Amino acid sequence: MIHDPGDIALIRVLQDEGLFLTARPFHEAAQRLGWSVEEVLARSATLLERGVIRRFGAALTPRNAGFRHNAMVVWDVDDKKAEEAGSALSGHPRVSHCYIRPRFEGFPFNVYTMVHGSSREDLEAVIAELAERAGASRRKALHTLREFKKSSPVYFINYRAEPAGSTTA
Amino acid sequence: MAKHMLDSIDKALLNIIQGGFPLKAEPYEELGRMAGVSGDEALFRVRRLVEAGVVRKVGPFFDARKMGSASTLCAVHVPLERIEHVASVVNSRPEVTHNYQRDGVPNLWFTVIAPSKEAIGEVVSDICERAGIRLVHNIPAARMFKVKVDLKVE
Repeated sequence: MIHDPGDIALIRVLQDEGLFLTARPFHEAAQRLGWSVEEVLARSATLLERGVIRRFGAALTPRNAGFRHNAMVVWDVDDKKAEEAGSALSGHPRVSHCYIRPRFEGFPFNVYTMVHGSSREDLEAVIAELAERAGASRRKALHTLREFKKSSPVYFINYRAEPAGSTTA
Repeated sequence: MAKHMLDSIDKALLNIIQGGFPLKAEPYEELGRMAGVSGDEALFRVRRLVEAGVVRKVGPFFDARKMGSASTLCAVHVPLERIEHVASVVNSRPEVTHNYQRDGVPNLWFTVIAPSKEAIGEVVSDICERAGIRLVHNIPAARMFKVKVDLKVE
């Protein structure tokens, strides 16, 4: 949970998607916050160490980066082995997301993976490789037919900073 | 921008920045050094990749749970003739971050991030009511292994 007003102020500035397309994003953030660039970098590094920020980086749109065939592949794995299957599947470079989720009526699958391929054949080949790692009794590939929405969550939209918010690192 | 229009420098930049944007005062200088171009060119090329839709976002990726938020995946089966209407109602909620039509049953899958489980419940109820749907399966992750699109661009 994030409570520190300085952290919240920093997060609000860093999530501006245009910021990282400027030549000196952390200077720009420092200017907006009225902090030094060293303080912006140090606090950002702390949020990264704490795992609040998973990473700084770029997200591709897979279909525009040569990965036009994508599927959510779900696996029915014995509950006792789901953890092991999740670790094995997530180690594959073409798996971007991997979770254990509850099964529901008519859908007996508990391990979820997002899998990316450059062609339909490539995708099927990757799924076949994954099947060897999964130890699943059955699987199902739900191919992506249409993207209706893809966005990043925005945090602290309605947060109002205290007039004298602390910026101590 | 089709894949064949990416040259070797674009591909090098993509493979570097997916995993790590430098936490440095002059990050593009650093990126340029790694990819063998100037900082200005690295910035120009990253902007171009964003404009072309190859890169969706550059910046920090947050862990919703550590931010104190709850997240889930929802699945619902919708007759094809109504799927666009239902999808537009789903999309209208800012808490919905991803929404995809997939083959098979269920056929509409969307993710919700909100301040609490209760808030997610309210978003789902609102969607059901306005879209005229029932039986949305709400399947939050019990365990997360990986959330990282880091695809080697060749």
